[in-house]
Amino acid sequence: MKAVVIGAHLNREDVEPIARAIPVGDLFVSGFEVADDRPLGDRDLLLQVADLRARLLDRATFIAIRYGFAARSAEDVVAKCAGLAPRWRGLLIAHREEVEMTLKAAAAAPPSRPDRRDFASGAAYMRALHESAHAVDVDPQFRGGVERTLLPLTTQHRWIHRDDSSVELAMLVRRRDLDAVRAAGEQLRRDFATVPFLLSGPWPLEVFADDHQQ
Amino acid sequence: MTEPTQEITLLETLDHLLDRGVVIAGEATISVGDVDLLYLGLNIVLANIDALVRTTKP
Repeated sequence: MKAVVIGAHLNREDVEPIARAIPVGDLFVSGFEVADDRPLGDRDLLLQVADLRARLLDRATFIAIRYGFAARSAEDVVAKCAGLAPRWRGLLIAHREEVEMTLKAAAAAPPSRPDRRDFASGAAYMRALHESAHAVDVDPQFRGGVERTLLPLTTQHRWIHRDDSSVELAMLVRRRDLDAVRAAGEQLRRDFATVPFLLSGPWPLEVFADDHQQ
Repeated sequence: MTEPTQEITLLETLDHLLDRGVVIAGEATISVGDVDLLYLGLNIVLANIDALVRTTKP
């Protein structure tokens, strides 16, 4: 058996009996046991893990570990995660009552995608792709609407450029404010009927626990 | 037949599963056959936006 690692949690009871709780220092890492020969790309497995994430989040806020880490043993999990545990513990205590919400909006005017044939090297092409994604923005009036209606309901927020066709707003929100955030989303939909956007969540700590997004 | 909103919710859920959260060093890249799942995740993002545009057009 191997365990698909799902997240890091403050307490054992935040994990069990939904998933297996693997102690790592003062924390617990959740795992979902599957047969050794079951590929991680299995569609049903992906859906099962997504469902487990949602059920674990209903129980308590946790730090999401990106899909793709399957441990052969508890020792394997400890070896990979022990060094991160002190930082994770601080985040989990600080954000115990918060979850993430995401607003993904289509770019106002998507730039033309760089053509690989226009670049002498792969590195230059990658830089151009990166710059192209960062040049993307949403309609300024829509951004203003988001800043007026949604941001006052967040404790932290971050605009993220993931690709050249959309911009994403990651928000930390108190659990008690989730309904107000959804209502603000409905208001935005009425005010900006022509702007394609998706407000989704709640999600575990993903962006705000990831060093690469800092 | 699934509703467009259900499809978007599913795509968004998979996008978060595959492309969000803490990366454990050396464990993020997985493949299905010859297709890197991170690449698959990127396609989900693009498909997601494409679906958004389609479903919100008058």
